[in-house]
Amino acid sequence: MLGRLAAQRFREIRQVFRQIPQAPRVFSTALNYHLDTPDNNPDLPWGFTEANKAKVKEILSHYPSNYKQSGVIPLLDLAQQQHGGWLTVSAMNEVARIIEVAPIRVYEVATFYSMFNRTKVGKYHLLVCGTTPCMLRGSRDIEDALLKHLGVKRNEVTKDGLFSVGEMECMGCCVNAPMITVADYSNGSEGYAYNYYEDVTPKRVVEIVEALRRGEKPPRGTQNPKRINSGPEGGNTTLLGEPKAPPCRDLDAC
Amino acid sequence: MGSVVRSAVKAIKEKGFGSFLRELRDEGYLTALLDGNLMQTKIHNIGATLVGVDKFGNKYYEKLGDTQYGRHRWVEYAAKDRYNASQVPPEWHGWLHFITDHTGDELLLLKPTRYGLEHKENLSGEGDQYIYHSKGHSLNPGQRDWTRYQPWQPTKA
Amino acid sequence: MTVLQACEIAGVDIPRFCYHSRLSIAGNCRMCLVEVEKSPKPVASCAMPALPGMKIKTDTPLAKKAREGVMEFLLMNHPLDCPICDQGGECDLQDQSMAFGSDRGRFTETKRSVVDKNLGPLVKTVMTRCIQCTRCVRFATEIAGVQDLGMLGRGSGEEIGTYVERLMTSELSGNVIDICPVGALTSKPFAFKARNWELKGTESIDVTDAVGSNIRIDSRGPEVMRILPRLNEDINEEWISDKTRFFYDGLKRQRLNDPMIRGPDGRFKAVSWRDALAVVAEVIHQVKPSEIVGVAGKLSDAESMMALKDFLNKMGSNNVWCEGNGPSPNADIRSGYIMNTSISGLEKADVFLLVGTQPRVEAAMVNARIRKTVRAAQAKVGYVGPATDLNYDHEHLGTGPQTLKEIADGRHPFSSTLINAKNPCIIVGAGVFERNDKDAIFSVVETIAESAKAVRPDWNGLNVLLLNAAQAAALDLGLVPESGNSIESSKFIYLMGADDVNLEKIPEDAFVVYQGHHGDRGVYRANIILPSSAFSEKEGTYVNTEGCAQTTVPAVPTVGDARDDWKIIRALSEVAGACLPYDSLTAIRSRMRTVAPNLLNTDERQPAIFSYSLKPESRQEMSTVPFGTAVENFYMTDSITRASKVMAQCSASLSKK
Repeated sequence: MLGRLAAQRFREIRQVFRQIPQAPRVFSTALNYHLDTPDNNPDLPWGFTEANKAKVKEILSHYPSNYKQSGVIPLLDLAQQQHGGWLTVSAMNEVARIIEVAPIRVYEVATFYSMFNRTKVGKYHLLVCGTTPCMLRGSRDIEDALLKHLGVKRNEVTKDGLFSVGEMECMGCCVNAPMITVADYSNGSEGYAYNYYEDVTPKRVVEIVEALRRGEKPPRGTQNPKRINSGPEGGNTTLLGEPKAPPCRDLDAC
Repeated sequence: MGSVVRSAVKAIKEKGFGSFLRELRDEGYLTALLDGNLMQTKIHNIGATLVGVDKFGNKYYEKLGDTQYGRHRWVEYAAKDRYNASQVPPEWHGWLHFITDHTGDELLLLKPTRYGLEHKENLSGEGDQYIYHSKGHSLNPGQRDWTRYQPWQPTKA
Repeated sequence: MTVLQACEIAGVDIPRFCYHSRLSIAGNCRMCLVEVEKSPKPVASCAMPALPGMKIKTDTPLAKKAREGVMEFLLMNHPLDCPICDQGGECDLQDQSMAFGSDRGRFTETKRSVVDKNLGPLVKTVMTRCIQCTRCVRFATEIAGVQDLGMLGRGSGEEIGTYVERLMTSELSGNVIDICPVGALTSKPFAFKARNWELKGTESIDVTDAVGSNIRIDSRGPEVMRILPRLNEDINEEWISDKTRFFYDGLKRQRLNDPMIRGPDGRFKAVSWRDALAVVAEVIHQVKPSEIVGVAGKLSDAESMMALKDFLNKMGSNNVWCEGNGPSPNADIRSGYIMNTSISGLEKADVFLLVGTQPRVEAAMVNARIRKTVRAAQAKVGYVGPATDLNYDHEHLGTGPQTLKEIADGRHPFSSTLINAKNPCIIVGAGVFERNDKDAIFSVVETIAESAKAVRPDWNGLNVLLLNAAQAAALDLGLVPESGNSIESSKFIYLMGADDVNLEKIPEDAFVVYQGHHGDRGVYRANIILPSSAFSEKEGTYVNTEGCAQTTVPAVPTVGDARDDWKIIRALSEVAGACLPYDSLTAIRSRMRTVAPNLLNTDERQPAIFSYSLKPESRQEMSTVPFGTAVENFYMTDSITRASKVMAQCSASLSKK
């Protein structure tokens, strides 16, 4: 009797303190400071490819010559595409050199935006939307399915270097929730693709992953065969007939 | 009061007079004759509920009903000769000070295993090693020959 | 003007964390919220421009509630470690939470923690305490000119850092300790040494360079615990250099505390003052007057230099000078050795020409002014001298006097920049004083000034940047040696704290008296040591490089048997039978008044009256030897800084090779 009471009491207390020990969720893929590793240190040379140098020139032409620093985000994006989906310190230093600012100003931007990865990601970086609509429609299950299938933790790269799973905030596809995004870095910045796969199920994401592994390009957009884009499942349910003419007073009647 | 005498007689009958006296001493009844504070606690204890005992042996009592609200929880320290409030471990502190209604035994289950430290009482004033003497203080053994500047030594020349 | 500034003028104090009057406006702490009539929401007053007809309410329940909300958010992730925090007692967050803080928080999650950063041997970081006001980032970027610090991450993961491992290699880095409103950046040498309410503040003057920054010496009992800047808009604004801030531990080390005589075996023996003075008096009478030489050190105050000069003159010698002023200083025309533009006047200049000077290491506060001007008014800087690291955009014109000649002749592209400038400013380093062709260099510089119209009734842009605290006063008092190489032929040398004279040139048989406070280079050649008190222990007048006389005040008692410099000389003169006619500070100052009246007008800049045009024509040949660096190591320039452990650490880890 007493034991049961105590156990119940204990559960109550646990309930009160439950919320505490969860670590804050980390969206960015790395720490806010840099640690030298063999594949990421300031001594490694890094430069844009010849093709990308033309793109850099094109990007910089959008901005006045005395406001080159405005181009920091497109340039970092280009560098990330070129470098297999992540930014090394030397890549950031190179961007800083091009836009003529101190490197720390580029680090500030790169650490601020969670879409800039500062640790290695897979050739296919799978981003699961975790915002409320997707979460309600089961994005946690999708992430679990992905992680289980690939045998990795979040923000970890598979052994073959092909896949990594991350989390994203709302990507504006709430009507097709849940959804994942596949950032395709397998072909450098030329073949870079950023595709949405909507209406996915835990089964379907695994199929998508396997298709990507085989080198196929699964069709993007909604994965529910009964839907067309964001239209309702099984065809339209409203507004089926001919639209009525706007009501008009019968002028003759009065 | 009658019940107290009755239980005392019962205890003597059960354990014998020698062990009863030893228990009296261990429980601090003899010290209480000189220590009014302890005596008051002992008198207070009559009819109170023993809520728990912590790992140091401090006993936590509660008496609801005829006691004044706010004085209805108290501790009888395990140490009868020198006791102070810092001997109460943190898990019981909240209960004792009406911060929470959870007893220390319940809160102990939440103690973090990885970094939760063992409670230590505050030993300030209990011997020289616990007293901080500023540098240059005559009782500070390490700093007794402290000087405020370091003179230039001509032997180096 | 912003609402906050307007309120300040009106005498209303608005709480703030991120706003700092000398930094750009960030507006990210939101502590300065005020209610503005017809505005639907509270307004961040530091970023809101004040408009005519605006009705600002700073004291309404709305404003108070808004600030309380901000404060609750700030305290949410702020650790409760005030008892072990060095900022405790002078912490903005602590003070303002007295007014706007709640006695309990509603935050039940775990507080965040942040990895501490390594910013070098001077600044200690406890980044968990940081409230992200970005004052340090803005200071580093705007004032110090080292873009190392930045704001990394976002949201609750936001932190101040350098991203890559990097020390803060600025000569002004200590100022981030002052501007940090919380205990995130504190002084490393001062860490856990004292609490600020135990300290006694003494308003004094810095002597480590010629700027004469205004400082407050905080002492506890007989110890100097720390040094803080004091506001002086004309000289150091509210910053001081790291050398000024952290050299104080040198005041406790290597001190001379007893008079000592070197015995026949070459070892020093402590003696009484009576014996020591008697020996000196005896020796000084045995040598010829022309063989007596006196050298004042770079930390000497005007009073002691006056006494030294008077004493040696009475002994018949006129070979007295101050180190750093070179073999033949020009003391006749005051405009030839002070900063005529004045330090605050540098802000009006639009073109700078730095000749043989690296202000960043010679006078960090002057450098900060130049940087401020370059940033604010896009002033152009031309630099002649060895390659150096100035923390602003500059044009390296050349390394030697040859370049000067080209500019003077108009053959150099920079000369047109100078001529077109409205307020050109030429700064010649005092390192030039040591050159043999100094007069020739000065006449070339004067030619340049002439062609650029740098010296006009409304603008004097021809400056000399001195190196040491004693230099200007020495020249004001006329400490000029009779001959340039008197030291080689001397028999009796009186070194008053002079450690940087060429000790090898002193003849073997010369008798050297070293009067000073630190066992530095000079003592190793001395025959007799007379201990004196350091600048923190005596009252003395110093003239800074712009000609402003300022006085130090004793903050702590002196050590051992040491005495004030001028008192030692006064006592020695009596023993030597040539008694000086003053025995109090007032009396010696009235003697100074007869020589250089400007030394008595303290805290007031005395501009030079006559310009260089009165100078006799120089017939010197200019050599082609390039300019040298006057200060090799910023952190170790005089006997006190050389004795300091913190300065030794700094020069080991921070100085660039």
